[in-house]
Amino acid sequence: MVKSLERVKNFFKDLWKWRNNCIMILPGVGWYIIFAYIPIYGLTLAFKAYRANLGIFRSPWVGLENYVYVFRDPAFLESIWRTLFINFGRLLFQFPYPIILALLLNELRINRFKKAMQTVLTFPHFLSWVIVASIMINVLGSQGLVNSLIKIFGGEAVNFLGSTKLFVPLLYITENWKSGGWTMIIYLAAISGIDTEQYESAEIDGATRLQIMRHITLPGIKNTIVVLFILAVGNIMVQGFDQVFNLSNPATAKVAEILDMYIYRITFKTAADFSFSTAVSLFRSVINFVLLLSADRITKWLGSEGLFS
Amino acid sequence: MKSLQVTGKKRRLRNRIELLDIIIFIILLAITLAIILPFLNVLAISFSTQKDFMDSRFMLIPKKVTFANYKAILQDGRLWVGYRTTLIFLMIGVPLNLFLTTSMAYGLSQPGFPLRKFFIYFIIFTMMFNGGIIPLYLLMKQINLINTIWSVILGAGLNSFYLIIMRNYFMSLPSSLVESARLDGANEWQILFRIIIPISMPIIATITLFYSVDRWNEWYFAMIFIRKNELVSLQLALRSIVMEGQASQHFNYTDVNAIEFSDGMKMGAVLCTMLPIMCVFPFLQKHFVKGRLLGAIKA
Repeated sequence: MVKSLERVKNFFKDLWKWRNNCIMILPGVGWYIIFAYIPIYGLTLAFKAYRANLGIFRSPWVGLENYVYVFRDPAFLESIWRTLFINFGRLLFQFPYPIILALLLNELRINRFKKAMQTVLTFPHFLSWVIVASIMINVLGSQGLVNSLIKIFGGEAVNFLGSTKLFVPLLYITENWKSGGWTMIIYLAAISGIDTEQYESAEIDGATRLQIMRHITLPGIKNTIVVLFILAVGNIMVQGFDQVFNLSNPATAKVAEILDMYIYRITFKTAADFSFSTAVSLFRSVINFVLLLSADRITKWLGSEGLFS
Repeated sequence: MKSLQVTGKKRRLRNRIELLDIIIFIILLAITLAIILPFLNVLAISFSTQKDFMDSRFMLIPKKVTFANYKAILQDGRLWVGYRTTLIFLMIGVPLNLFLTTSMAYGLSQPGFPLRKFFIYFIIFTMMFNGGIIPLYLLMKQINLINTIWSVILGAGLNSFYLIIMRNYFMSLPSSLVESARLDGANEWQILFRIIIPISMPIIATITLFYSVDRWNEWYFAMIFIRKNELVSLQLALRSIVMEGQASQHFNYTDVNAIEFSDGMKMGAVLCTMLPIMCVFPFLQKHFVKGRLLGAIKA
């Protein structure tokens, strides 16, 4: 008892010694409490019936009632499947692209273009999806570059943006267009971290470039690939809202309703039932938390630093 | 951080250009052109008349340069409103971001500070678990920030990734610097402003750049929190111009004075919206790349 009292006393003594630090972190901590933790508490609305005049804190509890309706909404279940389907596809069609880019750029021996190409490839990432979607609407439109090319080669114009079949492939292509080069930077850095001696001795041994790529470069960036892959899996429930929101239109709305789009629609476009949409939102946050936590644990278990600190 | 120049290995042996090199070059060239040509196309259309555009097949250079599109789009006025709102986000928002980030990052970087561990987990938890947009929206409503710029400025007040990047940088500084200053009787504030910030300029520049780009590209919070025509952010102004037909569902511009935008005007608006980033990027690319690598896998 006395001992623990002593400890408490020491703790506060320490704290007093560091009082300037406490004051320093105070604005930031305040921000986190107000704009991160109160909204997290706000998720309790999932178990309440929201009344505007009572607010988040005083609306009455209703238990699991909201979830009864959530799991009865076919649009909700469909949106989950759609999210999983689209984002698993991303692992297949999006994830390898930056690796391929990095390997190609690393092998490029016409050095004069290397720097310029790297600049061009990384640039689009810094534009918002609003801008990129605007450019895509133009490029893929009936008068756009792509259809012009098709017509020059004697084909029929394709309605890329209005087609429900092409919508998902288009997501992968545009995402690669926008951010492939940005992710490539990480792989390039990993490649430049590989021991030069390995390359030199392989060359002396007469290995071909493909062999070198396969047996030195790829193993050298294996850890980076694994960590980025786990992170991509961890983000599978929440990826792509900005992109889908800006690229979709009424013609493709049906195939574009991923979970986040569903939440947006039921919250801000139809007559809002905030408790209902919070129930969906909580479901999303919990799944995402479990995924990210597992991803973090797995990377640590594999001997990496972990994803967050 | 080793050399930040990301280039391939130098190979003195076998430096002959072979067929494989040509193939690799052609593939990369095609990918690069797939990025450059759409921009050229946007540029060309924005300087052409609608008729020239409709007659053209593969427009990369305008047939006859006209400024009419730019004149018309700037007369429409919503781009100006957008610029004004977004500049306010930048001028108030970025200093706030930097203040919150730097002070908290330094406070949590000192090894002896007793609450350090607790607050790191306090931050990391919010990166893995968040309330999502609905409780945040209701909170903004309850504290009467809806339809004010403050909802967006405060809502995006801190970015945990950038905060942790900065803290890690501060922790990598030699601790002798801080300790000797403490022995000389400097307090934590003096240490932060006189010692830490001056030697951390590179990282502060990088983080400033990231926050600025984020503010410039802000549209989601602005769309949810602000439904007021005179506070439309630049990205949303562009959205309403380019995606007029479909945008009116999300967007509450009165359709009474809706004008038909020509493709030239739309592309002019795209260019006006991305111009600052385009001008700045080639010169500051180094900093962007550095931020990418400091954040390593984290962003």
